[in-house]
Amino acid sequence: MSTIRDRILATVVLGMVAILAVESGNIPDKTSWQMFDSAIFPRLLLGVIGILATLLWIQSLLASRRATPLQETREDSALTEAQTIEPTPEEYTARPRFHYQVPSLFVLFGLYTWSLPLLGYLIATLAFLIIAQALLLGVDTPRKWLINLVTAGILAPLIFVIFEYGLNVWLP
Amino acid sequence: MSEFFLQGLAEVSNLYTLAMITLGVIFGIIGGSIPGFTVTMAILVVFPFTFSMDPVDGIALMIGVFVGGYSGGIISGVMLGIPGTPSSITTVYDGYPMAQQGEPGRALGIGMLSSFFGTLISVLMLIFLGPLIAQFSMNFRPWEITGLIVFALTLVASMSSGAMLKGLMAAAIGLLITTFGYDRNSNLRFDFGLPALESGFEILPVMIGAFAFSQLMNNLEQLSSRGRSTDTPSKQAPAQGSVSIPYRRILKDIAGQKINTLRSSIIGGLVGALPGTGGSVANFLSYDQARKFSRHPQRFGTGITDGIVASESSNNAVLGGAFIPTLALGIPGDLPMAIMMGVLILHGITPGPLMFEQNPVLIGGIYVSLMVAAFAMVLVQLLLIRWFAQISRVPQQILVPVVLVLCAVGSFALNNNLFDVWVLFLFGIVGYLLWKAGVPLTPMILGVVLGKNLENQFFRALELDPSWTTFFTRPLSAAFLALALASVVFSLIQNQRIARASKASRTPPS
Repeated sequence: MSTIRDRILATVVLGMVAILAVESGNIPDKTSWQMFDSAIFPRLLLGVIGILATLLWIQSLLASRRATPLQETREDSALTEAQTIEPTPEEYTARPRFHYQVPSLFVLFGLYTWSLPLLGYLIATLAFLIIAQALLLGVDTPRKWLINLVTAGILAPLIFVIFEYGLNVWLP
Repeated sequence: MSEFFLQGLAEVSNLYTLAMITLGVIFGIIGGSIPGFTVTMAILVVFPFTFSMDPVDGIALMIGVFVGGYSGGIISGVMLGIPGTPSSITTVYDGYPMAQQGEPGRALGIGMLSSFFGTLISVLMLIFLGPLIAQFSMNFRPWEITGLIVFALTLVASMSSGAMLKGLMAAAIGLLITTFGYDRNSNLRFDFGLPALESGFEILPVMIGAFAFSQLMNNLEQLSSRGRSTDTPSKQAPAQGSVSIPYRRILKDIAGQKINTLRSSIIGGLVGALPGTGGSVANFLSYDQARKFSRHPQRFGTGITDGIVASESSNNAVLGGAFIPTLALGIPGDLPMAIMMGVLILHGITPGPLMFEQNPVLIGGIYVSLMVAAFAMVLVQLLLIRWFAQISRVPQQILVPVVLVLCAVGSFALNNNLFDVWVLFLFGIVGYLLWKAGVPLTPMILGVVLGKNLENQFFRALELDPSWTTFFTRPLSAAFLALALASVVFSLIQNQRIARASKASRTPPS
């Protein structure tokens, strides 16, 4: 699993290196008073990253080949054994929930950032806090709703007051 | 030396600064006591509040968070059996059993006093060693500084357990991030035609995004399994109302631990001064040494004073030690110090040997703030320990959205610019994905902090002498580069040994 992960990482990094190497062509050439080109340092770093990513790619390939069939069979059987263990009712509910929470939270934060200039800090933050807590805490009991609304209702204005009036930092 | 101290004392001795230190300590303890929140996160959350303060007050607040954060880990460790921060793991070994034996107040009290002495001893180390190292490093020219930065980065990267290649790659990516925008010759690099990218990425949103998002999402992912494992200790944890501090008993306990306190604090201070180590390494090392020197090593882990003292005095001593390379050389050794250096840079102060000449008041202010924070930490913990024990139970489901909002507001407040919030979001995704891919983030963040300086020093050296060989002919520069290479080779050998050992343990006996 980790060898595949490493190979994906190395491939993505090599792709990034290629894009930035092409883009480094747009960096202006050195002028008469400059001793060195502005592109030297980033290109040097891109070279280092490229070499390290290639080494990681090769390492992951060698590691996957080195894995003997005996080990693979053992890992497979261990996996099968683990999979056959019946999850508890708690695990049934917890597994899929935690699977989608992280990407959902990223999407929510993206929407929050996008809505900040449109709705303003207070409304956008209240909405973000309520939705994010509903996502993470759940909405199945009135107590959870109460905790959610009280936390959001107190903290969003409190942060606003501290920054706006205490620290003289203007918020959108 | 005494001048620094007196000037600092005059600067810090006002109600506002003292209040800032105390507030920082309170917030640090809260941050340290919430499992999974960590000292680093507490520092990142508090950082934006320092924007409108003058440097001394801002640094004083941050130091309060540091001192409180390193000591706060003991609360959840003793009360719940879960270390609040990685640097208080070994505290749980003896703190939790002692609490289970009906003496949570004694365990907490011993931890508080040990943290206090650990901080004070490490500040003394900083006061004596800091100026000496700074004096020595005044002779450093661009070649030596380049070598030193390369050494610090490779050391931190190669200490990323079992992931040296990824660690080095992360450090190089961190350096690359600093090349976006205008360079020192006012040439534009990697702007992709976007005006917002012309000034490059601010350090703060990159650091917060990469670290905070990965940490918070990791907390969420681990919540289900950790929740299950913590159920048992939580239920067994002593009742909150029963926490009373037996002062006489604690003073007697501590009086019998002078050598242990001194030894553990020195270990903590020295470990803190080394790049890439930090509180958790100091914690294990001093606990191990305390056990080796003990007359009753078999009692470690059963709830004895020695274990708590070794653990807590060493993790707090890391603080003073970690300030030594940051202030004297301008090289932060770990993540919290990298953020501290970011704070100093944003307040217009460049850490390094010149800081002792140019900003003696600030240096003195740091010494005094560390000492005041140590006193404030003991007082605050004694007065509010019951409340902190309750706060350490705040669920991550509430904490995560609130911290994300604070991160966004902090990034925005930096320049009153929404682009910085988008940078935070972008590096949040990047940091999370890198963390999922097993890439250590500390080298990347150190790369971001040191990138500009490395490029400047590297080209300044080449402008003074265009020959690349000068890096290898100047003794100190060559020594740093040799040490950088040695750290990589040592890590390679170590990884091979680990691989061989694990292969041997997997091979079935014939």
